[in-house]
Amino acid sequence: MSDARSGPDAGAVAPPAADADSESSATRNAGGDHESFHALRTLLVGQEFDRLDAMHARLDDREARRRDVAEVLPHVLLDHASDPRFTHALTPPVERAITASVRQNPGPLADALFPVMGPAIRKAVAAALTGMVESLNRTLEHSLSWRSLAWRVEAMRTGKSFGEVMLLHTLVYRVEQVFLIERPSGLLLQHVTEGEEGVRDADMVSGMLTAIRDFVQDSFQVKDGEALEAMNVGGLAVWIEQGPRALIAAVIRGSAPHTLRTTLQGAIERIHLEFSDEFEQFRGDTAAFDGARPTLEGCLHTEYRANAGPNHRTLWIALGAIAVALMVWAGFSLRARSRWNGYVDTLRAEPGIVVVSAGRRDGRYAVSGLRDPLARDPASFLAGAGLTAADVDGKWETYHAAAAPLALARARDVLQAPEGVTLTLNDGALTATGAAPLDWIAEASRLARLVPGVEKFDGTAVTDAAVRNLMNEAQAIVPLFAKGQSTFAEAQEENVRQLMARVGELARAAAILRQGFRVEVIGHTDADGVPEANLPLSRARAEQVVQLLTPIAGARLEIVGIGVGSDDPAVTSTLEADKQRNRRVTLKVTSIPATATSRSVQP
Amino acid sequence: MIQKKICMLGTFGVGKTSLVSQYVRSIFSDKYLSTVGVKVDKKEVVVDNQRVNLVLWDLYGEDGFQTIQQSYLRGTSGYLLVADGTRFDTLAAARDLQKRAVAVVGKAPFVLALNKADLEAEWQIDERTLLKVADEGWTVVRTSARTGLGVQQAFDLLTRAMLEQP
Repeated sequence: MSDARSGPDAGAVAPPAADADSESSATRNAGGDHESFHALRTLLVGQEFDRLDAMHARLDDREARRRDVAEVLPHVLLDHASDPRFTHALTPPVERAITASVRQNPGPLADALFPVMGPAIRKAVAAALTGMVESLNRTLEHSLSWRSLAWRVEAMRTGKSFGEVMLLHTLVYRVEQVFLIERPSGLLLQHVTEGEEGVRDADMVSGMLTAIRDFVQDSFQVKDGEALEAMNVGGLAVWIEQGPRALIAAVIRGSAPHTLRTTLQGAIERIHLEFSDEFEQFRGDTAAFDGARPTLEGCLHTEYRANAGPNHRTLWIALGAIAVALMVWAGFSLRARSRWNGYVDTLRAEPGIVVVSAGRRDGRYAVSGLRDPLARDPASFLAGAGLTAADVDGKWETYHAAAAPLALARARDVLQAPEGVTLTLNDGALTATGAAPLDWIAEASRLARLVPGVEKFDGTAVTDAAVRNLMNEAQAIVPLFAKGQSTFAEAQEENVRQLMARVGELARAAAILRQGFRVEVIGHTDADGVPEANLPLSRARAEQVVQLLTPIAGARLEIVGIGVGSDDPAVTSTLEADKQRNRRVTLKVTSIPATATSRSVQP
Repeated sequence: MIQKKICMLGTFGVGKTSLVSQYVRSIFSDKYLSTVGVKVDKKEVVVDNQRVNLVLWDLYGEDGFQTIQQSYLRGTSGYLLVADGTRFDTLAAARDLQKRAVAVVGKAPFVLALNKADLEAEWQIDERTLLKVADEGWTVVRTSARTGLGVQQAFDLLTRAMLEQP
């Protein structure tokens, strides 16, 4: 202090010293001036000196400085809370302080953290439990009963997991009483009951409960922090959740879900948080904890089985919906089945298609069998049955069907019948009618039996027609003869040639058909002259033609010459031109019955 | 209402249970004493116009002071030491119990009840011994479970001492 003051003093004395170079005045006023100057100085700045003194005194007073710092420190911290330098500076000492506190006595910190730690730990445990419930679900998937089916429906309806629904139905309980008990005295702080009934001497029960907990803890030497958490007697259970200063004991009738444990934990944590001061000052006055009653009453949960009542209705609705869905499904299924059956029936009725197997395979309809290449495509019947190609798998092996329409079609294809020929098939007999060249008839009669489904070929009608045609053509040619001669009249060459051609064809037909024919060559004369002369002339004329035809007749034509004179005239007239028309030869062709001839001769 | 936990301490046969049986409200059977080692009863007293509910922990009176009983003592506001005036050794046992109680609960109010006051002729504990005990600062009350002598007084004294505790 004295050092500090020497400065100003020296300074204050300085001004006269500065005037020391003025020798005369310094010498003159050496004694008196100093005092008067001091007086002047005190007069001028005396107040400042006092303040300075006070300030110095305050700086030297450690207690005062401590008070000053204590006054400003909270403001500094508050005003600069966001300044990272503060956080940086404060972190190490705070960490060291906490570490030291825990080492010294972990109790206070544990007590302070208890309300915070509880929820955090529960959260982690809940996550683990969820996994467990899921595995439980999987286990239950395999158990199927009417009840579990109903629960499954409810689970689907409510969107809950099956396990959750099962728990809701299985666990029906009622929290009848809740005790709030001080530790370690076992004194009853508060007691709430469901309804009016309850224990009158809850304080004694509370004490005894605590005694029993102590007894268990001491008897079985459990670890620190572990304690009796539940007691079960038949349908009654006592669940205990403890905090550092008190515990909650809930008396439960029935089977409570694990969520109740969470409720109790939450309640004890909340009470510790709200009544920390009351616990600290507790001297036996339980009235201080009256405010905890609402929290305790919040633990009086009740779960009635009667809740299942309304659910029955919804269950029936759900079952009804399922029934309707099943009926609709059955309807669609029936319709699909009927369409399918219709399709298969159509296929079965279709010529050239043989259904070997038909049914459902891998969720699709499948049909397999044999199909004639000439039969209609099985796929072409799908639309008619109300099905699509996507609905049906078809597998077909090729075969030649014997069914009449297919055999006929095949026969037509093979025989290539000319225009004018109609083929019909009956009981395996292929019949040709109409007009056709004999060559074709011969070919057809050979090939027809090679066509699957054709057992024999009946060409009678078409043959008869062809033969009749040939016979008529042959009979229509009439060569004329010179008057009184057995030689041909003039310009009959073409006629004769035509006749020979027709008879030649007939001979070929006879050979092809293995059919014998009798060709009567009938010679005629005009009415001039006497019959005795005409008859031989007519025979001669016939013979003339027979001579021509015999070489081309072949084995199956029997050529016979006959003379009839003038008995069968073409015309009765006296005109020369008409007489010429009677000088002729006509043919009469008849078929010879097979038995009467050498028809058996093979070509 | 004020609630206080008090423990009844005393060696076997001093009459703790009989001492309180007439004065307390009890819902638990005595068999708890021999099984769990404790029976909890209740007694309501009025001291200086203040109603106090005493929760009595009657601890099973073995000669030894077992570890089980130590935990029963925790949280007690006071205790009633019981000795049998007709058996000198019970007083020594009471002294021993008192020391052990101090070890568990610290300095807590207590009252020594010298029971079987109705059998004074058979007493082994003389006046001089009692004065000596009183000199140590102990509160001593002669009680008789049979006649009810001093029982209420013992509880009242203990309750008052507990209420005076800070």
